[in-house]
Amino acid sequence: MSLPLHAKGSPRALPSTEASFLWRKLSEHRTALWRTASIGLFFLVWEIAGRVPISFAFPTFLETLRAFLNMLFNGAFVAAYAQTLQPLVIGIAISAVVGVGVGIVMGLSRFAEWLVAPVFIVLQAAPMAALIPLITFVYGIGLLAKTLAVIMLALPVIALNGYKAVRNANPSLVSMCVSFQGTRWQTITKIIIPDASPVIFAGLRLGLAAGFIGVILAELLITPTGIGDLITYHRSVADYPEMYAAVVSIILVSTLTLAALEAFELRVLRPEKRRT
Amino acid sequence: MLSNLTSGIRRLSGAAAVLGFGAVIAFAPSAEAKVRVAYGDIASVENLHLLAAFELARQKGVEIEMTYLKSEDIAAQAVVSGQADIGVGGPYALIQKVKVPVRLFLQLSTLRFYPVVNAASYKTWKDLDGQEVAVHSRGSGTEAIMRLMEDKQGIKFFKISYIPGSEVRAGALIQGNVKASIVDAAGRRLLEEKAPGKFIVLPMDGVNATDEALFARQDFLDKNQKEVDIIVESVLTTWREVTKNPAVVAEWRAKYNLLPDLPADQAKSIVPYFTELAEGKAFPLNGGGEAAVKDDFAFYTLSGQLTGQPASLKVEEFWSLEPLNRVLGKVGTN
Repeated sequence: MSLPLHAKGSPRALPSTEASFLWRKLSEHRTALWRTASIGLFFLVWEIAGRVPISFAFPTFLETLRAFLNMLFNGAFVAAYAQTLQPLVIGIAISAVVGVGVGIVMGLSRFAEWLVAPVFIVLQAAPMAALIPLITFVYGIGLLAKTLAVIMLALPVIALNGYKAVRNANPSLVSMCVSFQGTRWQTITKIIIPDASPVIFAGLRLGLAAGFIGVILAELLITPTGIGDLITYHRSVADYPEMYAAVVSIILVSTLTLAALEAFELRVLRPEKRRT
Repeated sequence: MLSNLTSGIRRLSGAAAVLGFGAVIAFAPSAEAKVRVAYGDIASVENLHLLAAFELARQKGVEIEMTYLKSEDIAAQAVVSGQADIGVGGPYALIQKVKVPVRLFLQLSTLRFYPVVNAASYKTWKDLDGQEVAVHSRGSGTEAIMRLMEDKQGIKFFKISYIPGSEVRAGALIQGNVKASIVDAAGRRLLEEKAPGKFIVLPMDGVNATDEALFARQDFLDKNQKEVDIIVESVLTTWREVTKNPAVVAEWRAKYNLLPDLPADQAKSIVPYFTELAEGKAFPLNGGGEAAVKDDFAFYTLSGQLTGQPASLKVEEFWSLEPLNRVLGKVGTN
């Protein structure tokens, strides 16, 4: 994950000091350079594939970029995300509260584990795209159905991560608390939950990723709103660059959100993992 | 480099196709030509007459293989990529924007929709001023119809919401979630059966835009004139027979064993469904052609499927009229 930033002493001895300065500067930003190159290469391959073309419905990178910027500045994305984020935010908030709560209870009590864990394990294994049409039979086509789709995808992974984190809390820490005459409540709040929090948080991150899948599935399968509407509409009128731009935007939004969450996690919960 | 490679592959596959054709011609001279048709919906009562027309074509020596796909634009993609020979739908936007050599060649149906309102809330078009209506999807024919009526009636909807599926909108009307919408013939009958008197169908001037048409790549139409003519003729004669005697569709179903798994209540709806359409003259007896294309240009520029002025669009860039004209020369216009 973390590449060494400084390659101390450049591998080649360069004659001029100016060149060695340049080389040092470059190697300082080597990670960033490689990452940019990787993304650039991907875009280049995309552009070539679009120009061949591999399919008549496959726009080039530049066409897609133009469509993306257009939609960014004419407000189409703003309006779409205002709609898409509603079920996502509500669904993730409910999943986080319920999922973490249920996960902790399952981790602490064998009885709750037997009662509830199988449901989540089955839910996690089930192909959700096949279940989403069933939601519409019961809950119709509104915000409730879409929020439920998000919850169905996000809740199992959050709950199961919480459960495993609590169940696998460090036993020597727990014994220590007991030997210092800590009560059961103190053991839970002062030892188990803090110890489990990094894994619980990782579960939340995975849950958010699943929630993005859920909301897009719902918008494509239930009723087209927000970003799902942009995708279906532009497909139906054969505006393929716009359709791809919408797809790219949701990938971008979910990647950036997850990266931000990961950065927060590293900073707050796992200082030991931070680069030194 | 890359284009060299792909053209190499193309040449190879071309050679393979030639070899394949050679083999077919040399070793199986009696084999019937198989035409692959891509349909963007499931088989149901609504396309029973088309299935019957294909049975007729089969009797005349054109073997037809139907593939049912999830949506119309997937059917269009299959045709463009060569995985299907003929598609069913109205891919005007695709033809205009992507510039693929795909042409429509036979109109199968025109848009038949009924604006419906809950009688407790609204009575006339004017009542819908400032109200919400539900249509199929953005850029769809149902939305274009409602926008057209907005203009004609001099009203303005507060909001147009999107609920895909006519039966879903009919269900929402019955449940009361939606007060004004637009449904197809099946949805209208559902409303009349489940809640008689509760809904009013608003009057609407005829919209003659194509709902479904047959389309294919131009090179397929050129190379397979015989098969295409047989299919066009089969559809036209079937449409004319259905218009004369709608009950014949139920007989065809029994004769050709079409949709054998249809539930009994749906099987009962076959004759009323086709009778209603026949009375409404819903089957294009002359396959559309130039007049239909002009109507389509006017309607689909309004709906946003096509861009530009209707007058500036060229018929030959969207339609291939030769097969239809050949067949009409043979069977006559009606």
